[in-house]
Amino acid sequence: MYEDKFIENFKSQFIDGDTIAVDASTDFRQIESWDSLTGMAVLVMIKDEYGIDMSDTDLKKCKTVGDIIDYVSAKSN
Amino acid sequence: MKKAYIKSIQYYLPEAVLDNEVISKAHPEWSIEKIAAKTGIYKRHIAAEDEFSSDMAVKAAEKLFASEQVNREDIDFVILCTQSPDYFLPTTACLLQDRLQLRKNIGAFDFNLGCSGFIYGLGICKGLIATGQASNILFITAETYSKFIHQEDKSNKTLFGDAAAATWISADKSEGEVAAEIFDFSYSTDGNGAGYLMVKNGGVRNRYSQSETKEDENGYVSNDDYLFMDGKAIFNFTAFQVPQLIKDTVAKNELTIDEIDLFILHQANEFMLQTIRKRTRIPEDKFLIHLRDCGNTVSSTIPIALYHAINDHKIKAGNKVLLSGFGVGLSAGGVVIQY
Repeated sequence: MYEDKFIENFKSQFIDGDTIAVDASTDFRQIESWDSLTGMAVLVMIKDEYGIDMSDTDLKKCKTVGDIIDYVSAKSN
Repeated sequence: MKKAYIKSIQYYLPEAVLDNEVISKAHPEWSIEKIAAKTGIYKRHIAAEDEFSSDMAVKAAEKLFASEQVNREDIDFVILCTQSPDYFLPTTACLLQDRLQLRKNIGAFDFNLGCSGFIYGLGICKGLIATGQASNILFITAETYSKFIHQEDKSNKTLFGDAAAATWISADKSEGEVAAEIFDFSYSTDGNGAGYLMVKNGGVRNRYSQSETKEDENGYVSNDDYLFMDGKAIFNFTAFQVPQLIKDTVAKNELTIDEIDLFILHQANEFMLQTIRKRTRIPEDKFLIHLRDCGNTVSSTIPIALYHAINDHKIKAGNKVLLSGFGVGLSAGGVVIQY
């Protein structure tokens, strides 16, 4: 449930969020519409929805959407 | 205190056009579709080699006089907002007084602000009118950022377009006239972010330097003689500070977000605007986007969007409109106006 909700929030940061397929194993940098500004929007979403300050450097260490979810869950606990 | 009204707006776009096809041809890694989807921009207008802020300001102002709503003899103050003035000195507004054949017993000056400039200009105009120093102000915004953009700098080239807008602000409004009363302002400044959007060379500190062109790991080109923008830092500032500023502006006017009929923000790029809209929880139908055919024209985006909102009948009598500009400085401002 938590994971599904996160993926929805994550997808809505993309300009074509309605049409892309994303799951926890997705290597998000391979999504065609991904770029650095989408990354910034994801960080803004994480702060708004989960109250967590994730830095650009932390995001750089993540490869899949699951990696971001793990980061956010670890910080939420 | 006398009230101040935005009476009418005209704007000018230079003839030459830079469209997505041309950009994509020069930078094949960016498709035409991707540029349009990400920025919301299809084309930008670029000032001619021998065309400068004063020339564009004259064209916009002459359109305003040609509309026959205001006579040049009635103008008792001219203010120009620009960061690309013709000269270090004199102030460009003095040239405008002469070229527009305005009266000589009037005030004229420039002020230097970018994307927040229209809001600050309205603030100055309201102050001059409220204190009886002026009654009919010609307020012009004009930028030729294209002259600051390195030809290999694909990001800035894609976003910015040149334009000038002329706005007539007056102490009088006649019955039934389409004019907006200027209400209360909120301002915000953070000079710590000055380096995020900057043309480093060409001022007095680094006057003659010719800098080398650098390329970062993502292939983005920069050169201190030209415009530099840290897109991520600007995005962060905008995403967090602008929603707060909008809330402050609404509160200052003793209103709520729901009571605003239309939001017209500085048209930076569509992706950024949508982020602000979502964070501020503004419904899409109350949020104006107008940058498709002119791009980010710096201090002219708000008057251009406002002009079209009126002409397209998106604004009705009694409507409250929130205007907000933000960017280089870092500087931001917001105001509520009512038609």
